[in-house]
Amino acid sequence: MTVTSEVVNAPRRQSRRGASFRDAGPPVALIVIFLIFAALSPQFRSTDNVQNIVDAAAVLAVVTCGITFVLMMGSIDLSAAGVMGACALTVSLLVANNRNDNDFGLLGIAVAVLLGCAFGCVSGLALVLLKVPSFMATLGMSAVGLGVATLMFAGVQPNISDTMVKGLAIERFLGFSYLTWIAAVCILVGWLIQRYTRLGRYAFAIGGAEEVLLLSGVKVNPYKVAVFALAGAFYGLGGVMVTSQLGAGLVQAGDGYDFSAITAAVVGGTLLTGGRGGILHSAVGVMLVMVLTNGLVQIGVSPYWQGGVEGLIVVAAVAAAVIPQRRRNQVVK
Amino acid sequence: MSTAVALKPTQRLTGFMPLIALAALVAALTIADPDFLTQRSLIAVARTAAPLIVLAAGATLVVLCGGIDLSIAALASLSTVFLALWLPDLGGLATPAVILVAATIGAVQGVAHVLLRIPSFIVTLGGMSILSAVALVVSGAGTVRVVDDSTVRWLDLYLAGYVPMSAAMAIIVVALIAVVLKVTPLRSWISATGYSESAARLAGTPVDLVKIGAFCVSGACAGLAAVMLVSRQFSGGPTMADNLLLPAVAAIVVGGTAITGGHGSVWRSLAGALVVTLLRVGLPIVGVPSAYEQILYGAIIVVAVALTLDRSKVSTVK
Repeated sequence: MTVTSEVVNAPRRQSRRGASFRDAGPPVALIVIFLIFAALSPQFRSTDNVQNIVDAAAVLAVVTCGITFVLMMGSIDLSAAGVMGACALTVSLLVANNRNDNDFGLLGIAVAVLLGCAFGCVSGLALVLLKVPSFMATLGMSAVGLGVATLMFAGVQPNISDTMVKGLAIERFLGFSYLTWIAAVCILVGWLIQRYTRLGRYAFAIGGAEEVLLLSGVKVNPYKVAVFALAGAFYGLGGVMVTSQLGAGLVQAGDGYDFSAITAAVVGGTLLTGGRGGILHSAVGVMLVMVLTNGLVQIGVSPYWQGGVEGLIVVAAVAAAVIPQRRRNQVVK
Repeated sequence: MSTAVALKPTQRLTGFMPLIALAALVAALTIADPDFLTQRSLIAVARTAAPLIVLAAGATLVVLCGGIDLSIAALASLSTVFLALWLPDLGGLATPAVILVAATIGAVQGVAHVLLRIPSFIVTLGGMSILSAVALVVSGAGTVRVVDDSTVRWLDLYLAGYVPMSAAMAIIVVALIAVVLKVTPLRSWISATGYSESAARLAGTPVDLVKIGAFCVSGACAGLAAVMLVSRQFSGGPTMADNLLLPAVAAIVVGGTAITGGHGSVWRSLAGALVVTLLRVGLPIVGVPSAYEQILYGAIIVVAVALTLDRSKVSTVK
């Protein structure tokens, strides 16, 4: 008995040490990068700029919350841009605006979030029922979202006049905009879901060893759909937040957020193979990406490079995560 | 090839799907608008389809190997910028130079995929982001006008008075790839890699080289598509070809090339590209707003992937 427990314990302890190193990496990197930029640029270390970074991170944090659950399952979600566009248009047409007489306020926001949820649900169903790989299903869904958004846009930009929605981005509470607080609540809710609900635990398990879960008699398909729906709801909220920032509903509201969110999640330590990472990791990843993009602009690098830096980070981070398993993973598609 | 092992009748039917869809679309459009089958509108279709055919043909090779190349559109955009910038200095040499650079970029992505063992869609998604950034920086985020286009204008001419040169080039590229695959062992290597990579490796197939080669050809095709775009639009732009990614992916899967790898051909992608172009051209003819185009692409991709998927291979789909 003691022998077996030792046998079981030995590799586990090792993997735990590995995990803690992996968990410590991103926060340490965040601090190091922050200190480097602070040393290089006096503007960067001003309180105003730190506030800016945190406020600018709000939307990305919410979107990343959603995508993290999908990545934990080992799937991927490229639909954020389309879903955010559709939800941005929806909310801007439902709250007080210059296109119609609607004035639903909070209800409009709820409808937009539900629409995002529905988009995610369809992606999940395509994955589960039609067996379409998630990157294809969500690529298609992103196009559908952009098409729906273009239909609603109909050539006239809806400018919102709803003071509550506009105020979310402008008014501050304890130094940070309301959007930042919303993002903080999202991270908290995401963490609670990940930690304490069956959905969150199964998302981990599906990413770690789906076959085992299936053999244990767990019906994984409903959970997969639910995870995509949850992610869609976060994108929907992200679309609402962008609308609040811009004061108008734009088809391009979610441009680039899909890739930035994947970058943030991967950098934070959520593996694309699934089963690792989590919301808190991703939150650190979001700050890393934001500090990096803000810092590079402050020291005079063209903002056009932002996408390039993110691309390099993703490839490097994924490569670094894969290296330990290189010998085992002979087949990579 | 002998890879088609005793297809079931249903599978044989899906094999002809792209042609059936093509014929049905042409018939429907002719009924909706009797003017559709005129020389002028057909030439317009052929010219619109040319860059898409080339892009899809190149990326098909990657898909046949079981991967995907999401960077083709961004690479084509970057190539239009390079071409527009280099034309004044390099003149006629600019075209081969751009195609060479694009092929190299494709090969680099292939090497990253193979050596670092990163899934191809992540490498090319990252590549897409990087290439877009480079295009923005190099072009200063603006359109680069081509003043003297004499060296790329030949693509805008007409062969025998009717056939647009760009469309003829596209067909030649497809035929060239198909012939090379047919007369060399490449076809079986690619198929083997796509059907079962580990089996192919054990059988001695140079899997890594095949994959890098596929990415390299995909890049070169993106470069050629960029030349076609520049010759038509007299300018290069950092986002000029970006909206071709979805149509190209749609063309590949509509053609019937399985996203799981192995099954398919470049001819299928040619048919797929024509189907996609006809849909694009046809929607306004039947009076559907062009916003539905995007929705249609999305739906087509999901449905076509579902239909062509090799279900024996996907026990767990991620």
